[in-house]
Amino acid sequence: MPMTAKLTLAAPLIAILFCCCANAQVHADVAVTVNADNPVNALTLTDLRKIFMGEKRNWPGGAPIKLVLRAPGTHERIVLMKLLRMSENDFKQHWVAQMIRGEASGEPVVVPSVGMQREALITFPAAITMVDAAELKPGMKVLRIDGRLPGEPEYSLY
Amino acid sequence: MLRFRYAIAVLLLIGCCLLHAQESSSAEAAEVAALAQQVKALQQETQELRERIKALEANQTSTVPAAPVSDSQKTQGPPVPAEPVSEQLPPRFDEPRGIQWKGFGEADYKVLNQRLPELGSYGFVPGSSGNFYSGDFDLFLHAQMNSKSSVLADLAFEETDAQKYKLDPRQVLLKYDLNDHLRMSFGRFQTSIGYYNWAFRSAAWLQTTADRPLVMEYASNGGILPTQGIGVSTTGSIPSGAIGLHYIAEYGSSDTMRPDLNGDGIINDENNGNFFNLGLYIGPDAIPGLRIGGSFYHDQISDLLILTDPSVPPPASTLSPSTRFNQSIVNAHVVYISRGVEFLNEGFLIRHSVVGGSVVFDTAAFYSQISKKFGRIRPFMRYQYVNASDRNPIFDDVGLRAGPSFGAAYDFNSYITFKAQLDHTQRSGLSDLNGLHLQAAFVF
Repeated sequence: MPMTAKLTLAAPLIAILFCCCANAQVHADVAVTVNADNPVNALTLTDLRKIFMGEKRNWPGGAPIKLVLRAPGTHERIVLMKLLRMSENDFKQHWVAQMIRGEASGEPVVVPSVGMQREALITFPAAITMVDAAELKPGMKVLRIDGRLPGEPEYSLY
Repeated sequence: MLRFRYAIAVLLLIGCCLLHAQESSSAEAAEVAALAQQVKALQQETQELRERIKALEANQTSTVPAAPVSDSQKTQGPPVPAEPVSEQLPPRFDEPRGIQWKGFGEADYKVLNQRLPELGSYGFVPGSSGNFYSGDFDLFLHAQMNSKSSVLADLAFEETDAQKYKLDPRQVLLKYDLNDHLRMSFGRFQTSIGYYNWAFRSAAWLQTTADRPLVMEYASNGGILPTQGIGVSTTGSIPSGAIGLHYIAEYGSSDTMRPDLNGDGIINDENNGNFFNLGLYIGPDAIPGLRIGGSFYHDQISDLLILTDPSVPPPASTLSPSTRFNQSIVNAHVVYISRGVEFLNEGFLIRHSVVGGSVVFDTAAFYSQISKKFGRIRPFMRYQYVNASDRNPIFDDVGLRAGPSFGAAYDFNSYITFKAQLDHTQRSGLSDLNGLHLQAAFVF
């Protein structure tokens, strides 16, 4: 077989392989993580929605929940918007409204990397954040969501 | 001879290659030396950091309790040694201290098919049917004192006649949040009569429409409800499972002063007593974004009129400056905000009854507003209705006002929204009113 014909056949195969990999990356599960000392082990999806909407503001025991988010455009953020059924603009508007109603002390902290998410979890014992399950770091406590962990069948955050 | 020349050429070529190789190897050696130096520097830095960590660990007086072992932790792989947390937080995660600011502003143009003021507010210039005005300029301040206490203020610079501005602290609150079940506020607050006043506060940028529904308009702009009060407001969730039941309880003084809607210069000073407002609402887990609720407000007020222009006679319906009325306001609302849909529905029954008498005036009001976001554009439609008796001395300027509003809001970016709105209002005893309202609302 001539070299050009081999290349012609290989190129679409490589493209398909790349697309599959990219697709697998997009659909990676997102873990909900907290500080290792947080006694909470599991949340329902409804609780999670309420927490990130600022409607549920305290952990059992009274510690105020600290929200730590990834920047817009990241996989974790896209999954969060899907969970909340909101656009980025609506999310921003919601949090500004929460602030002027006195329902929140400020907008959630936004960090640019998983390393900083981990640092934030260590710094704020009452923090909660969503991390791509493929990028989990030691020291992050992963919560069960509706009884399931990332990677398990029917896990809903992806 | 030719062979000899070829041999010389080949030898020269080999010589050049060897020389180049030697140069390359000497460059690589220099690079390796530099890298080795960098590694040494990094090793030294690591050693210094280790020593600092040891020193910090030695200085730590409190010990972190061991975390309970859980299923979830089993998924994390081998345990890692706990990292020391320094007392001084990294600056990028430091809790916000001092006063946090947020600002809201708007620039408006409103044109009516009449040359008389409506709502008696903002920059209306008699004799002209269309005017620019700047509405409210709000500075929102928030200061967290500790994890449970904070101070919140909403300072509105409100445009009045002739481009003068007055300062209206619409909220000045000391807040204490014990937990999700008990959150208390002391000071001046926006009364939680219904949903709109609670949800949107003073910020035009947060509202889909260019203006508030008439029934929810600020009393200082001619609105018919006591939108502000001074006292204590408590709210929180009631353990109720998937129903999501919440309560609101408020007690305070309103002391509402309301200009007549037609801008005739008459101000109604209600000289309120102390009011109470009780409300309940549910936010069922099964339908995120749905809120169904109601409230009951009660106060005693008077029909005292203040005439800013002495030449204007008081309305004939005025009973006496000191007549006291019981004012009861019942609200019911159904709101759905999710997936880009906003569906607001609120109904009100406002009852005024003369204290010690049998005279009763009922005022019914409602509005319904629906919008859906498509990309950056949110078209909206609203219908509002207010029907007050002409004989009601409190609302003698209101009468029947009803009609639709249509328009669209366009998010220019995350901070600026342009709105265009058409209004048609039917009024009892007056001609129908048509209006165009353009607005640029922003947050900073």
